[in-house]
Parts: sequence; structure tokens; C-alpha cells
Amino acid sequence: MHLSRLPYLDPGSGSFLLQLLIGALLAAGLAIRAFWTKIKRLFGGRSSALKNEDDANDVG
Amino acid sequence: MTQTTSGERLGASFRDPSGFLYTSGRRLLRQVNQLYAADYRRLMESGLYARLTAAGLLATHAEVDAPAAEPELAFKVIEPERVPFVSYPYEWSFSELKDAALATLSIQSRCLSAGMSLKDASAYNIQFIHGKPVLIDTLSFEGYGEGSPWSAYRQFCQHFLAPLALMAWRDVRLGQLLRIHIDGIPLDLASRLLPARTRLVPGLLLHIHMHAGAQRRFAGRRLPARARMSKTALLGLVGSLANSIRGFTWKPTGTPWADYERTHSYSAAAALHKQALVKDWVERATPSTVWDLGANTGVYSRLPRRPGTAVMAFDLDPAAVEQNYLEVKRSKDQGLLPLLLDLTNPSASLGWANRERDSLMARGPADLTLALALLHHLAIGNNVPLPQIAEFLKAISRWLVIEFIPKEDPQAQRLLAVRKDIFSRYTRDQFEVDFGAQFHIRASVQLQDSSRFLYLMQSR
Repeated sequence: MHLSRLPYLDPGSGSFLLQLLIGALLAAGLAIRAFWTKIKRLFGGRSSALKNEDDANDVG
Repeated sequence: MTQTTSGERLGASFRDPSGFLYTSGRRLLRQVNQLYAADYRRLMESGLYARLTAAGLLATHAEVDAPAAEPELAFKVIEPERVPFVSYPYEWSFSELKDAALATLSIQSRCLSAGMSLKDASAYNIQFIHGKPVLIDTLSFEGYGEGSPWSAYRQFCQHFLAPLALMAWRDVRLGQLLRIHIDGIPLDLASRLLPARTRLVPGLLLHIHMHAGAQRRFAGRRLPARARMSKTALLGLVGSLANSIRGFTWKPTGTPWADYERTHSYSAAAALHKQALVKDWVERATPSTVWDLGANTGVYSRLPRRPGTAVMAFDLDPAAVEQNYLEVKRSKDQGLLPLLLDLTNPSASLGWANRERDSLMARGPADLTLALALLHHLAIGNNVPLPQIAEFLKAISRWLVIEFIPKEDPQAQRLLAVRKDIFSRYTRDQFEVDFGAQFHIRASVQLQDSSRFLYLMQSR
């Protein structure tokens, strides 16, 4: 398991492994989306406006 | 906060070895242990503390020169911003829990940008300050090591995602499972209770149903040594949780009390007279804390008040509390906190040694308690004798504004419509005798155009 150090709460083995799976799925999804955006741009599609860092961080 | 003697650790502050809260005279202090020194420095020096406090997501604190409670472990002593009233997730309405969940994710997202991560995601680390959910635990941060998954993922799902999913998809009252399961709702239980169609909702399929399955399947299993999770994947996980939370909706209608203000039985003149009296008497008592019991959607909790007064508006109806909270958000009211509470069974002391989560009474007394259109529910609806009601209200209030509803009142008659009248002692004379034993009666006025009386009382 990769950890900078062990957590003080039990993170749960299942919860850890599931995160790795979900993470891989989401990362793949993001990569496909980025690739698709590039293709669209290549054919003259409009790029989406860049958000500033705080907007990107604000999930609330 | 649990009542403590000076220098004593707070009952809920023991799990994390990074530090703890303790009292020193009237002050509440937090010892930061040596163990946490590097993370604390990083929080303060990376600009993360400044950004989170500026965004109203983290409680502020000051480093103070006060004696540590356990000097051999201490790195620093800090004095955190005081929370006007400590409330718990099982007392929050649907949207209060939802906003607390989104605040937690927003903090985690900002942490990752600053090279840190939340090491816990407990709903009890969030408190409502000035009308907004705020993280109160300065020790919840740790340095983020590239490749690490989120160690608080399970806790976040149990404390926030599972109860919100059950409230939105099954029944809002299932939020009360948080009272029994103090570390959040077990995911296998949530998975069993949720409707089967939630398996078609991607966020719920992943974070609850598959999560419960993974926990069952891999319980106690050692993890592969080289398992890594990229930062992009981790940000994706946080975003996916946020999308799931944002997708939950619940409409606060259909319960009897949320519609009460529109359907209740007394005249406009009586209502105006009542408002004027309550306003005058609250001004006279100059309270800093007001508990409005049976507040409904908060009509009387909203009467003009001195700046800095903290009003807690309690009601047993989740729809009324939700409507009240939505109005607090709409009007940006910083002094009013709507909370869910059944007065006939108020929040108990819970957790380790019964000292982690305080009962309602341990969090009092309030400077002033409003008990408007409430007495008949307790005395007739719940058969509590008047002397016991007086004793309870005295234990939680210094001043009391209470409405006496005579038996002939249509609202009292509704409660008696299908049952035997066993309440021969429920009279105004007896009320004055029983309450007079606990309180000085400072004023009593009959409401215009009504048989009801309003009283101002002061604790003996």
C-alpha cells in the first residue's frame, strides 16, 4: 500500500482498494475527455473558458 | 461542550494523537502536540490556513502563551474561535448536512492544491458558525504524499454520503440513524436500505453499493505494496463525491407542521400582539443565547434581536427545520441556527463514556427560552405534568417566555378530540402555581382577540 505514513483512523482495506479502482476509472475518463477536447479543437470547435483556480477548487 | 473542570480535556477530544482540546478557566484551548508540528507549520506557512479561513471554511485560531495541559507532549497552545452552540449531525436538517458535506469536500479539494489532505472527514468536525458550516478541527490536516489514496474516504461516505442518500432516496427520518451509529452509517446497512434503483445512479453504485461490497470482500486483507493513486484520480474521486452530494434533493413539504403557520387557528390581531410582546420581552431580558423550542419555520426566532445574539430554533419536524434553514441561507441570517429536536426525547449524551456528544441539557442553559404554542403539546399531547415541564424549562433557561393555551383553545381541543380528558389540573391557575415554584412571574398578558396568555418569567 502506498502511503506517506499510516493514518490514525482505520481507512478500511475495501475502501482503499475501491478508491484505487474508482480513481483509475475517473482518471481514464478525464484523459478521454481531454483527448476528445483536443480533437474537437483540431476541427475548429470552441474551447471551454478556463476557470480560475479558486473556482476549480470550489466544489461547494 | 461537556462540562469540565479547568485544565481538563474535553470528552470528545481523545482520538487523534495530534493534540486535544481542554479548558483553562473560561477559556477553551487546544494543545498541538510535537507529533503534529510539521503538519501545523505546513498548514500555516503554505497559505492554506489563510485561504480556508478567508473562505469561511475553517475556524480561526490564535497562538497563545498559555500553559499546556500536557507540557511534555506540547508543541504549541492555540485558542480557537468559539462556536456559539455545538450541534450534531443528527440535529441537522437535510440541507444542513448536505452543506456540511460540500464544505468538507471543498476543503479537501483546496488542501490537495496546497499539498495537504484531510486525514479525517468526521461530520462532528463541522459546526455552524454565523450560519455557515465550518471545519473546527485545526488538527485535521496532513501533508499529502503523491500516490496516496484518501484515508478519510470511508469516513466521509459513512458520515455524509450514506445518511444523505437514505434521506433523499428512502425517508428523511433515516438521518436519525446517525444517533445510533456514532461513526456514521455502516455502508452495508445503507446499501440494504436504499431502493434497488439507486444501483443505476453512478455515484451511489460506486460509493455505497460497490463500496459496501468491497468492504465485505476485502475485510482485513493486506493491501498491495505498490498500490498508488494519482493526484488526478484523487481529485476525480473528490469531484465524484461532490457531484453525488449535489445530486441529492429533498422537498420539505407534506408534514403537518411545515404548513402550520398558514393553517393555524388564531387571528392576525393575536399574532401581531404576540410578536410585539415577544420582541419587547426579549429586549428586556437582553439574552446572548435564545432557544426557541417548537420554533416551527422560525417566525418568532426571526424577530429583531441585538447583534451577536445566537438563536437556536428547535423543532421536531424535519420539513419545518429544513424550510427554516433554507430561509436562513436566503436571508444570510448569521445569528439563527435551525435544529431538529424532539423535546419529548431530546438529544442524549452519546459516545465513549457518554462524554463525546453532549445532551441538550448539558449544552444549556440558554439566557432565554421561547416556548410559544408548545405547552399543550407537552402537557396534553405527551401527558407530562405541569410541575415537570416547569422543572425542565428551569433547567435549560434563565428567562422564559411561555404561552399558556387553555383547554378550550381549538388547538388544545384538537389534541383532546379522540381521547379522554384526564387533565383536570391543566388550568391557568394551576399553571401559575406550578411554574411559580420554579420561576418569578415577571409579566402576564392576555393576547388580543384570543383566550391565550403570554408570560415572562425569570428563573428562581
